[in-house]
Amino acid sequence: MFSWFWDALSYLGLYYKNAKILFLGLDNAGKTTLMHVLRDDRVAQHIPTQMPTAEEVVIGKIRFRAFDLGGHAAARQIWRNYYAKVDGVVFLVDAVDRERFPEVKKELDALINDEMLSDVPFLILGNKIDVARAASDEELRSALGLHHLTTGQGSAPMSDIRPIELFMVSVVRKMGYAEGFRWLSNHIP
Amino acid sequence: MDFNELEEMDGVRWSWLTWPSSRLEATRCIVPFGCMYTPLKHLSANRLPAPLPYDPVQCKSCTSVLNPYCRVDLRSRIWFCPFCYHRNPLPPNYADISESNLPAELIPDFTTVEYTLHRQPAPPPIFFFVLDVCTREDELQTAKDYIIKALSLLPKDAVVGLITFGQNIHVHVIGYTECAKCYVLRGEKEYTPDQIKNLLMLAGGPPRGAPLNSASPPGPNPATVGAARFLQPVSEGEFLMTSVLEDLETDPWPVPENERPKRALCTALSVAVGILESTSAGTGARIQLLVGGPGTVDPGKIVALELGDAVRSHSDIEKDNAPFHTAALKAFDDIAARAVNAGHAVDVWACSLDQVGTYEMKSCVDRTGGVFVVSESFDHPMFKETFEKFFSTDESNQLPMAFQASFEIIASREVKVAGVIGPVASLNKESPSVSTEMEIGIGGTTAWRMCTLDPHTTLAAYFEVVNPHQNPIRDDQYRYIQFITRYTHATGQHRMRVTTTAGRWTSGDNIPEIAAGFDQDAAAVLMARMAVYKTENEDSFDILRWVDRMLIRLCAKFAEYQKDTPETFALSPNFSLYPQFMFNLRRSQFLQVFNSSPDETAYFRSYLNRENVNNCLLMIQPTLMSYSLSGAPEPVLLDVTSIKPDRILLLDTFFYIIVFNGETISSWRKAGYHEDGKHNNLKLLLQAPKDDAAAVLDERFPYARYIECDQNGSQARFLLAKLNPSVNHHSAAAEYGGSDFIFTDDVSLGVFMEHLKKLAVSSQ
Repeated sequence: MFSWFWDALSYLGLYYKNAKILFLGLDNAGKTTLMHVLRDDRVAQHIPTQMPTAEEVVIGKIRFRAFDLGGHAAARQIWRNYYAKVDGVVFLVDAVDRERFPEVKKELDALINDEMLSDVPFLILGNKIDVARAASDEELRSALGLHHLTTGQGSAPMSDIRPIELFMVSVVRKMGYAEGFRWLSNHIP
Repeated sequence: MDFNELEEMDGVRWSWLTWPSSRLEATRCIVPFGCMYTPLKHLSANRLPAPLPYDPVQCKSCTSVLNPYCRVDLRSRIWFCPFCYHRNPLPPNYADISESNLPAELIPDFTTVEYTLHRQPAPPPIFFFVLDVCTREDELQTAKDYIIKALSLLPKDAVVGLITFGQNIHVHVIGYTECAKCYVLRGEKEYTPDQIKNLLMLAGGPPRGAPLNSASPPGPNPATVGAARFLQPVSEGEFLMTSVLEDLETDPWPVPENERPKRALCTALSVAVGILESTSAGTGARIQLLVGGPGTVDPGKIVALELGDAVRSHSDIEKDNAPFHTAALKAFDDIAARAVNAGHAVDVWACSLDQVGTYEMKSCVDRTGGVFVVSESFDHPMFKETFEKFFSTDESNQLPMAFQASFEIIASREVKVAGVIGPVASLNKESPSVSTEMEIGIGGTTAWRMCTLDPHTTLAAYFEVVNPHQNPIRDDQYRYIQFITRYTHATGQHRMRVTTTAGRWTSGDNIPEIAAGFDQDAAAVLMARMAVYKTENEDSFDILRWVDRMLIRLCAKFAEYQKDTPETFALSPNFSLYPQFMFNLRRSQFLQVFNSSPDETAYFRSYLNRENVNNCLLMIQPTLMSYSLSGAPEPVLLDVTSIKPDRILLLDTFFYIIVFNGETISSWRKAGYHEDGKHNNLKLLLQAPKDDAAAVLDERFPYARYIECDQNGSQARFLLAKLNPSVNHHSAAAEYGGSDFIFTDDVSLGVFMEHLKKLAVSSQ
């Protein structure tokens, strides 16, 4: 299923673009698990991230330098320190934890409205759809107030608008995020 | 065999008690011959007599100390050294000893004794505070408050001083002055030790800590030269230092948006080390570096000023993509070498949500015996509680720490010293006992320096059996190894603790005898220290392979099985837990760095490198207790199947402690059943693990992170990550409920054991 990731030329190390991306979201959204799956193609159980970590992952034609920042309230204080020179934000949401949707919306709104990130594409991943009671695409869109924000899953470059889109995924079942990253790759200049 | 009991006797735990008598057979035992030794362990009075008020009697030839294993000929007043067989005359003051009147060091139970040496007492220890002022105001305030608190906790004769740093370094004058004064050094500049000495006019003047009211001696004016301006006893300097701290503000230099503060961390540390080395070399001293962010301007900087440039990660270091790393490592290594030379320790209190560069500073702490404390904020209990505990005195009103220590090993001729892994630095002492073939950890010497140590500090010592195969040793002959620790006690007394150990030899084919003396706890920690030491130079994949290979070969040698029949594989009880220790070691944060920053890794490894067997084992394989309404608390398997809805679990990993409420318990609690008076047993159940956790936290240094959480909650990951994933999201069992499961592709202990059995029975 990852075959499309490995475009022949980029596999040879040619035509890589470098991009700095941030993995953001509340604690337990699945940021570290996603990072591990992207790096090693393996699911593992991690403790909550304390200090920020970074890994290099190559997806398609882009060499991402991905920063995994802790999601608990205290750790969110330093998210801002990482906004400079960012090419993309991957925002993860635990689609099962409805109680925290208001908290998610508050953090996401703050990010989207932050001046330092005003041009940066946002890939929002509604995670944990392997769990039966997870919110649907539609439910999540309305809970997070995304209806008027998202710019569509198309890959055509957009002028004047900052790309924002939601993809429903299951990181542990390795479902959905590949499309998300393909979308993000197309919107990184 | 109860190895814990043996540890209580001398503070020693051997991987193997009985050693094969030939070099060849010894190499076939796989796990090295070594021990975990806690030099200042508190021992009971019937094992360790009160300090002997006289100097030790030492062998004229090899300098070993007279001990219960020495044969003493009372008629001819001769004692025979069991190490080099030299005949030594008993000193004249031993004239009246007899069978019924033996000095303590010859009484069989006193294999460990301590001497108070006849030397001028050492001056009181120095605590030199080096404080970062580039932090947020509230953070600085807390740090200041706690330094002031430390001054009130320290014994009044302890010597203190203060350096603050931001863009520049401020060395504060706290003696011989009426009003606050300080010397300012440029943070971006690299100062040599001589420059520091000259700029601060450290030469001349009264010694540091000299009381202010002594009649002024002729010579230079102490108000303008010498170290006494910067370093004063608490009783004299407390008032001025407190007022300096109270007036202290955050660094006034403007910080542009999108930039980090200019923080000259490395230069500040270098200046502190410089002041101490040129005025107090050989005196006990600890530098207290309180830091809230990364160095950005000096040779030890780990990141550029621009926020767009992030602090290096493990993957950056691996891929050689961390431009400042090598230079910073070298800058701090140089400082560490200077501190070690002077016998001074560096303690780092890193309080920040992001990295400050402890990874680069690790030699300053690990080679000097200092401590790392990493906390997300100065306001977090992990800083506050640990800091307070650090400066608290014990029941005899002494600081529970020793200074200016050295550690020496003397061994029988059949044994050579391969090295030591622990918070030590080599003293490069040449001796015929140094192994020429084998080096494990810091080797090539039989003596090491410990700038400071405490009753927990534990060294891993490794040995090589060199007796040739053709030269059998009789079973009634013993191998002797003596540990000599010289140190300055907190009272200023010079002391020497001597532990002499004797162990049996046996023929290499006497497998049952050798196997019976295997201490799997000590062996696991000795191997873990080796594995972590290898991370300095080797690729992590190779280290995991090495851990696996050693385990397979050990099992192939000592397990019972029929060749090529895995079902017949069985380990005797004193080996049976060892594979699980290795399984957890492989998975631990010591060898897996994903999701840890380099700073966190340095912190974790530092404690594995200094703690005793039980604490190190706890770090490798945490303990899990279960609390339920149906019985007393009991230990349960570190396995996901231990999670039950009606249980509370208490996990202790040394670094954090978590109370985990099963689903049913947490729903009862949320419904408030424990508060309605009718369910007092639930109330007691909810309280019991919290009380037990509090008791552990009270003892633990550094103060552990404490977490309470519910099943399926976000923080439950602290528990799940440590459990054996015997049920994962691929297992059918996961669908049935009843038991929790773990999302992971990692192998479970069961699978690991299957592979181990298969490989062990088929090897060779």
